[in-house]
Amino acid sequence: MNTISRNILGVAVSAIMLSLGGLAYAKDTIKIAVVGPITGPVAQYGDMQMMGAQMAVEQLNAKGGVNGKQLEAVLIDDVCEPKQAVAVANQIVNDKIKYVVGHLCSGSTQPASKLYEEEGILMITPAATNPDITRQGYQMVFRTIGTDDQQGPTAGRYIADRIKPKHMAVLHDKQQYGQGIAEEVKKTVEAKGVKVDLFEGVSKGQADFSALCTKMKSANIDFVYYGGYHPELGLILRQCREQGFDAGFMGPEGVGNKDISAIAGPASEGLLVTLPADFSADPANADLVKAFKDNDQDPSGPFVMPSYSAVQIIADAIAGAKTEDPIKLASYIHKHSFDTPIGKVAFKENGDLKEFQFVVFEWHADATKTPIE
Amino acid sequence: MLEFFQQIINGLTLGSIYALIAIGYTMVYGIIGMINFAHGEIYMISAYIGLLTITALTVQFGVEAVPLILLLTLTISILVTSAYGWAIERVAYRPLRGSPRLIPLISAIGMSIFLQNYVQIGQGARDLSMQPLISGGWRFGPAEGFQVYLSYMQVLIAVVTVVFMTALTLFIARSRLGRACRACSQDLTMTNLLGIDTNRVISLTFLLGAALAAVAGVLVSLYIGKINPFIGFEAGIKAFTAAVLGGIGSIPGAMLGGIILGLSESFASAYLRTEYKDVVAFSLLVLVLLFRPTGLLGKPEIEKV
Repeated sequence: MNTISRNILGVAVSAIMLSLGGLAYAKDTIKIAVVGPITGPVAQYGDMQMMGAQMAVEQLNAKGGVNGKQLEAVLIDDVCEPKQAVAVANQIVNDKIKYVVGHLCSGSTQPASKLYEEEGILMITPAATNPDITRQGYQMVFRTIGTDDQQGPTAGRYIADRIKPKHMAVLHDKQQYGQGIAEEVKKTVEAKGVKVDLFEGVSKGQADFSALCTKMKSANIDFVYYGGYHPELGLILRQCREQGFDAGFMGPEGVGNKDISAIAGPASEGLLVTLPADFSADPANADLVKAFKDNDQDPSGPFVMPSYSAVQIIADAIAGAKTEDPIKLASYIHKHSFDTPIGKVAFKENGDLKEFQFVVFEWHADATKTPIE
Repeated sequence: MLEFFQQIINGLTLGSIYALIAIGYTMVYGIIGMINFAHGEIYMISAYIGLLTITALTVQFGVEAVPLILLLTLTISILVTSAYGWAIERVAYRPLRGSPRLIPLISAIGMSIFLQNYVQIGQGARDLSMQPLISGGWRFGPAEGFQVYLSYMQVLIAVVTVVFMTALTLFIARSRLGRACRACSQDLTMTNLLGIDTNRVISLTFLLGAALAAVAGVLVSLYIGKINPFIGFEAGIKAFTAAVLGGIGSIPGAMLGGIILGLSESFASAYLRTEYKDVVAFSLLVLVLLFRPTGLLGKPEIEKV
């Protein structure tokens, strides 16, 4: 036997032994896949999601788990890329995990949700807000966050009623989430008589926006809505302010992240952001907030509490329906309501929350925010 | 009219950076006829080194003099990045010298994937950002109405680009090693027969290309102030386009190509829609290649017998 084939045999044998070891040690736990961006440009949001889900799993396990079984959070990275999301979803199907908390970005949630629906896996996204995700008529798909057709009009009404811009620009990043919400905002302000002078898409990952800034400045734009995430808006703010373009800016919850202040610095002062209400300020959540703070974690991020709630809904449903069959759980979730840190929640037929509110915040250069209405 | 000047400033700034990166593509192609797809990653690494050095100097050592910071950062970044350029040639391309053209190309793509992941593991996949070191600028035009803004940073980019381009042109045209480079680009085998260590010349080419990419990387981390391990891909594609537009293998061509690309992107987002800036840039490339297949300043390749 030559060396190469001996090596291959050695590797094969050790691989078999390793996998046997894995089988022997596998405990009987209820696995929940928590899928979001652990790496990549928007990993900060993934942090919020993982943090919330892990806290929920810890606290539920400390109370004795569900039906005598411990929960286990399996953290998986989809980098917020649609392609990677489908690969991850396939892996979840192969690993026979029955519950998913995620994904985070709308663009990656949509293709993955198709697989979960077909394979009978229960999916609750704590962050994807594009309305199309729940328009597919799926039974297995839920979300513990509002949608862009709630968020867009909130922003649009605020702009039309309070800011009353004369020359408005609406920009987006051509992604499902960003463009979707930008279109909602445009529709809302136009219905209220505000003219949108400029409606344009930038590229994800684009770094130079100086030409766009010059264009908006020379068109006398006095208010800009941006649909997308913070890396691009941070640079737009920074480069536009540098050129002396002083219009007001507003964005959705995808820009409300402390990194926007790291990128834009003083230029992020006064940015308006629509975010879910700050659940960590709710006195009912005081104990939970303290638990996060004891771990040195910040519970005020927009996706922390929705993610915690998603795990809790799965656990409560398993306890309530006394089954682990995801299909029966889905119909249980449709019919019942749950007490969670984001309030008492119930779901519509399509899996959306019956009620969810977005609030307009003013962002500050030191990465803090104050609610306006 | 004033905004037209502003767009020219925007375009020239962007174009300078493209041109600096494009040089690396064009030099390597000119000498060994290979496209170094890892060059975009070299630029990305230099942007990281630039940002980390600036942060270390200002935060760790409390250096406040901006010219000193610039000088140190440029020096460190050029040294380290050139070392990367040299090492990549040594590891990924030299062992393949003499093999069919496709093989080093695949090796280059592999290298590019490796470097991207290497930085991702070392530095994390997240954006690193930095507040501007040099802020402020001049404003021209009427007090109310549109004012043209020229920032110190944009002037710095232009000055640094011109200085390094001139130095490179002089080096290639006047020095012994530069002459060796030109000889290699004409006929590698013959140059070798005449007693010139062509391997050394090729190493030098990679080193110079990486050094200019390092300058671009530092300028970008200063100007844009936000980097991640994936910026090399887009910058690489754009710079490669610039090199082909100007005529791959020609150094003045790369400079011209970079500037044209920068200006066309700027004008496309200004007078059409931002979405079309890449469309316009690449349509321009197609048009130029249709009428001048060797690019604007490229010499027609004569098949050597």
